Amino acid sequence: MRFLIPCTIAALLAVSPVLAAERTVTDDTGREVTLPEHPERIVVMHEPLLGVPLMDLGLDVTGSYGRTDDGGFVIAVDFIDTVLGEGKPKPSGFGPFGQPDLEKLRALQPDLILATALDAGKVDQLATVAPVYLQNIDGSKVHGFEVQANLAALVGLEDAFAARKAAYLERVAQLRETLPAEIADQTYLPIFLTDQLNVVGNSSGMIQALEDLGYTRLEVSDAGGPSAEGGSMMLMPLSTEAFGRLNPDVLVLLNNYMGDGRDEAGTRAKLGKIVPGWDRFMKPALEDRILFVDPAKVITPTVASAEHMLDAVETWSGKAQ
Amino acid sequence: MIRRGLAMDGKRVLRLSNGLQMRIGNLRTGVGLAVAALVLAILSTGLGLTDTGFFDLLNALSGGQISGTEGYALWTVRLPRILLGFMVGWAVALSGALLQSIARNPLADPGLFGFSQGSMTMIMLLLIIAPMAPKSLVVLAAVTGGLCVAGLLLWLVGGERSSGLSIVLMGIAIETVLSSFGSLLILYLPAETSIALSEWLAGSLFQANWTMITAFTPLFVLSLAGILLAGPAMATYDLGPEMAMALGEPVARSRPVILVFAVVLSAAAVTAVGPLVFLGVLAPHIAGFISPAIARARLFLSGLMGGILVVAADAMTRGVAGGLPLPLGLSLTMVGVPLFIIALRLQALRKQQSH
Repeated sequence: MRFLIPCTIAALLAVSPVLAAERTVTDDTGREVTLPEHPERIVVMHEPLLGVPLMDLGLDVTGSYGRTDDGGFVIAVDFIDTVLGEGKPKPSGFGPFGQPDLEKLRALQPDLILATALDAGKVDQLATVAPVYLQNIDGSKVHGFEVQANLAALVGLEDAFAARKAAYLERVAQLRETLPAEIADQTYLPIFLTDQLNVVGNSSGMIQALEDLGYTRLEVSDAGGPSAEGGSMMLMPLSTEAFGRLNPDVLVLLNNYMGDGRDEAGTRAKLGKIVPGWDRFMKPALEDRILFVDPAKVITPTVASAEHMLDAVETWSGKAQ
Repeated sequence: MIRRGLAMDGKRVLRLSNGLQMRIGNLRTGVGLAVAALVLAILSTGLGLTDTGFFDLLNALSGGQISGTEGYALWTVRLPRILLGFMVGWAVALSGALLQSIARNPLADPGLFGFSQGSMTMIMLLLIIAPMAPKSLVVLAAVTGGLCVAGLLLWLVGGERSSGLSIVLMGIAIETVLSSFGSLLILYLPAETSIALSEWLAGSLFQANWTMITAFTPLFVLSLAGILLAGPAMATYDLGPEMAMALGEPVARSRPVILVFAVVLSAAAVTAVGPLVFLGVLAPHIAGFISPAIARARLFLSGLMGGILVVAADAMTRGVAGGLPLPLGLSLTMVGVPLFIIALRLQALRKQQSH
């Protein structure tokens, strides 16, 4: 007993700094996750939706799923370059897309792995390396740059986020003064072009900026296919017939970032293949109420993407005036 | 008491006191394949980022110290992949061998019959409706999907006198419908969901862990018992259902049981690593080329070859691919198809020479 009490005290003293440096949170799928108070080596399973929001707040992301060993990205567009500007340090990869390499992941020594709800099936394996937090990215559950706000709170960057948001809101107020007063009653509809038409979901800087400026989303009920559960940048596919009948006050068109032609000419050409003659009968086209936007800049749920959207609106409204 | 003797075709056999006889050629091939599987597994323990391998594993097993990184690479990543890969390959190949006898068609496999697609479609629907569904529900969905297809197949082809060809043709019809539905889901679901499904469809041993191995091991053991029980029946099925009935095989009873057995093996494999297309055809053919066999020996050799092919494919994925994306399904094709072509070509040459 004489040994037991000092030993217990010693054990408590030894463990207490660890306990103090950790906290338990509940992720978006209801799992309890114990993570460091201030995680420093974060790995993300979805760079545009989870990595770029953190990098926008000044945090260096250690690893990113989809990056190659030499820092290249799995798709043509590198969102770190397009959203945050070129010259930023790139996270390391840990295996090609579709084949995460657990040994490479462990070699990165992460203290937190951020994944989307769609990675739920990988959690058991990823958790053998570091705590895994599943963040909802589904546009029906998170809105605008809410993902970035959530992640900022998770990793202790609330102040950085608040500063970014304050600067952004100031810019919104300035731009709002230059725009016509009636936009408060105006609707917008963002359409993403792949080999079909997709209504863009609610979780992006683009949506945040448009709604902060006063626009309201045009409700589309006639969808052409199933909607996503669990998480998607897209809300639902849209039939060409239903699209032709729509008349939002501002039609926002975004061409797929998997190929070239994200500018106005490329977007017009792509839409012409999906809906031939659209610019000859659709009211927004006839009345020049179309905003062509580069999705590689505005689609991430970040303040930076919202600012890119403000730039696009500013340029567009300048042309319109 | 084991005696040597000659079979009716002049091949040397070992006869046990209980009447069981084994061809010495098959036995040698079985031992050879088992050794090959073991050597491949040993080599595969050395593949990966961490500089460790079989000797470190032996050191750890004999009570020696290895670093945390080496322990993680061996115990958490490599060994589970090797063990699960072998068992999954065994299950798919065995399922294919069973179905080839039932259908009396060398092209039959769980994919051709639509069992894999039934399991896949059900899993895909589950993942769309409930992306965070627990693993047990995914297994249930896979088995249900496979069994639904098997039930439909049996109902559509009719009773015990239906030919193997009608089972294959009906299986192809069901498989085509389900594959089209699967393609539709992949094409028109939102990108993120499609990518998640495509990753799984390409096949991967990423999920391999000790929990999964613990869940799969009883099925593996059951499959060994299944080989012993169903093996003799397979020899009669190889002669056609009428001849099987004439030889006393209760086709009306045994065929559904064997089909269910094949479905369970296939569904479990699909759940663990995704569909391994063509393995059910590849493995029995390559095994049959190395050592022609019937009944239990054929099933056993097919299973061994299936396991070897998947372990080899995984080794290629982890070792040779480097930074290249090489899903298990693709590496399996790259390993298995050349062997398959060589086997068929040599068989053809052998026939030409004999005429």
